[in-house]
Amino acid sequence: MYVNRRQVLMTAGGLGAATLVGCSSQSGGAPAPQTTGGTPKKGGTLRVGALGRAGAITRDPHGTQSNESDYLVLSLVFDTLTVPAGRPNTAPRLAASWESTPDLKTWRFKIAPGAAFHDGSPVTAADVVWSLRRLRGTKSGASRLPGIQAENITADGDGTVVLVSDYPNAELPLLTRLSSFILKKDTPDNALDKAPGTGPFKLDWYRNGNARLVRNEKWYGGEVLLDAVEITMFETAQAMSNAILAGQIDLASNVGPVAARIAETRKDLRVVRRADDMAMPIVMRTKDGPFADPRVREALRLVVDRDAMVKQVLSGYGTVANDVMGTGDPRYARDLPQRKRDLARAGQLLAEANFDLGKTYDLITTEDIAGLAESATLFANHAREAGIRINVVKQESGTFWDATWLKGTLYTTYWGTNDSVLFLGSKLMVGDAGQNEAQFADPAFDDAYRRAVGAADEAGRAAALVEVQKIQHERSGYLLWGMADGIDVAAAKVQNLPTLAGYGRVQLQSTWLR
Amino acid sequence: MAALTPGAPAAGSTDPAAAGPPVPPRPRDDFARRAGRAALRAGAVLLRRILVLAALLAVVFAAVEMLPGDAATATAERGDSAAAIAARREHLGLDRPLWERFTDWMTALPTGDLGTSARGEKVADLLRDPFPNTLALAGAAFALTVAASLALGCLAAARPGRRTDRMIGHTATTAFAVPDFVLATGLVLVLSLWTGLLPAVTVADASGKPAEWTMMIMPVLALAVPQTGWNTRIVRGALADQADAAHVEAARLDGLSTTRVLLRHALPGALPVIATGIATSTGMLLGGAVVVETLFNHPGIGTVLAGAVAGRDTTLIAGCVALAGAAITLVLLAADLVRAKTVGAGR
Repeated sequence: MYVNRRQVLMTAGGLGAATLVGCSSQSGGAPAPQTTGGTPKKGGTLRVGALGRAGAITRDPHGTQSNESDYLVLSLVFDTLTVPAGRPNTAPRLAASWESTPDLKTWRFKIAPGAAFHDGSPVTAADVVWSLRRLRGTKSGASRLPGIQAENITADGDGTVVLVSDYPNAELPLLTRLSSFILKKDTPDNALDKAPGTGPFKLDWYRNGNARLVRNEKWYGGEVLLDAVEITMFETAQAMSNAILAGQIDLASNVGPVAARIAETRKDLRVVRRADDMAMPIVMRTKDGPFADPRVREALRLVVDRDAMVKQVLSGYGTVANDVMGTGDPRYARDLPQRKRDLARAGQLLAEANFDLGKTYDLITTEDIAGLAESATLFANHAREAGIRINVVKQESGTFWDATWLKGTLYTTYWGTNDSVLFLGSKLMVGDAGQNEAQFADPAFDDAYRRAVGAADEAGRAAALVEVQKIQHERSGYLLWGMADGIDVAAAKVQNLPTLAGYGRVQLQSTWLR
Repeated sequence: MAALTPGAPAAGSTDPAAAGPPVPPRPRDDFARRAGRAALRAGAVLLRRILVLAALLAVVFAAVEMLPGDAATATAERGDSAAAIAARREHLGLDRPLWERFTDWMTALPTGDLGTSARGEKVADLLRDPFPNTLALAGAAFALTVAASLALGCLAAARPGRRTDRMIGHTATTAFAVPDFVLATGLVLVLSLWTGLLPAVTVADASGKPAEWTMMIMPVLALAVPQTGWNTRIVRGALADQADAAHVEAARLDGLSTTRVLLRHALPGALPVIATGIATSTGMLLGGAVVVETLFNHPGIGTVLAGAVAGRDTTLIAGCVALAGAAITLVLLAADLVRAKTVGAGR
């Protein structure tokens, strides 16, 4: 959802990265929140900086949120049915529990006991149904609640909501993690700015992207420790970095590696690295063209120097990946052999495939997020060492998304949701996937995917999930060389910050100040 | 400096020689006629300024059009189909010819309607809080640059060719040559990150204004210092020109003190040039606000503009330019009037 595919003037590389993080609807998949010790203490105001643009401000919980600052405010004031987590990757929030029928089509969510809006009225299934239908009715509703028609969102009594999917979907609770904000039934559009939520904080004031929130004393989800959260919107990561370095804020959310390097040298600051935050793979078209032969694709995967990419493109703030999308998934196949640079083998494969080394191949990229264009350039250098001539073409964002994305033969892309292999598989790799970036059509993959999603027994699904990843590792259209960390910088006194990737970082309900 | 002799940049100024009628008639008639002419003159100047502003806005519309991509693609979501983007384009009115969009927007402008942003918000609402913040910032910087450049220019002119003069001259040139983002970054490093004297960035409170007034200091300095460099040179140059004038020469030969000669005899004659020179600073100040506000997170239209350009948000960009342009126009108009008044009074 949060795609504003633009690069901001000058210094704001970080903002681009930021706006993309939630581009589908999930994130997460990391260890438990970090703590440096001590007993949690009540009180204090946490001052948070988050990126955002004045012209892109939105107060609609179901609107297009391209401002991280707005998303932060919304997710602290409103609750979603489920939230991103580590293991498993989905945790209860407004929905205390859920269960499905054996065919994995009908899902019943039980509303958390005691859940109430900030005005005191209890949350009913009618509120949830109304909100989800409203979400489904937005222009990107179909991608936020895929496979769920509005009429298939119904209430069963006051405390249960039933969602019926058009197809079996074991990952359905994952879809409700990031955008299913629940409002009171019949909240008019012109009252959204003051609409009561159910979240851990209540809105004190909001103005031009900045806001102050105060503790919801009666939150059903547990005791909230912070008295208040003050959110300041920053147009650039650079200004936000200065603010945290000068002690004007306590947490610089998603501020990026430049600020982190400075903060590493300071005792009063702490760098929070959230693994598996952003994937920046190179897409190779599988349907036709020079990379249609899987041997060529494997050769390119053997050509890249992954360690060098992580070190240089990500300033070391990242991890090497293994060409399987969804590295944050608790069931990510860590036992697949890690692919390493092997120029001899690559050359052999290229020769077998009769790959034309005399030609120059364009690798199309954008400057949408920090490091993306650099990754393309560095990869081209690696490829040159193997005798493959790659010419990096930087395209303006709008042109890229219109003309290259889904159509090009060799281009960079990026995804901010990386904690579910199946989610990404369904979105990007299944033959009829709507965003099949590499035009990958592999019956064996589709079959494995369907078994992984819809097989009745857990063991069968687990086995199929391994198969899904094996095929990806072997022959998909993705060259995933590494994963960028999400990077926050916090004052040393801030405790128990979330370490989840992507928008998991907004879960500040159990954060406290020493 | 030569380019800034009186008359050169003063588009719209009228010949002050025509101001005074040859024969002194009855005082009341004279007053009415003078007032009428002054109003007419001001009106003509204003009209010309407004036409320039309109032309500028047309250029802005055209320039945004020339940037790759448009508001429909800029606000699109990943996975939006070509059809969805086309629909957005239609919804935003981007399918209509540029000229038509421009004239629509321009004709609504006099009613205070600044149009609708790419995200469907009223531009006037988006700029309601930021514009006064920018005016406060640019106004403070303007006041500072006027005071400082007059003081420094006079100081330098008081001892032409001496060490003070040369030092001020060199410093002024350097100050003007430093790009504002370099200066701003340096200020943050020295005054905030190293010494902790001032807040590094602006944090707005519930009123939409900077939470503390000290947050204004560095942005004001970052804007004012380069302009002061520029204006000091103008003041110094204008005073130097005046030093050769007969009445200044005479005053000096009469044995009046340097200060008196400078302030009472040289400065009045130099004022028209100084006023015009300083007034052109307004444009630089408001232009610099885009960079400076963004670096300091000042909640003004510069920050809005930076984001609007990234979002190809033509109406929002035009709204920012229109407001800034109107402010600049007013200052230039004031400068024209000062010129007319002082030159007229000198006769």
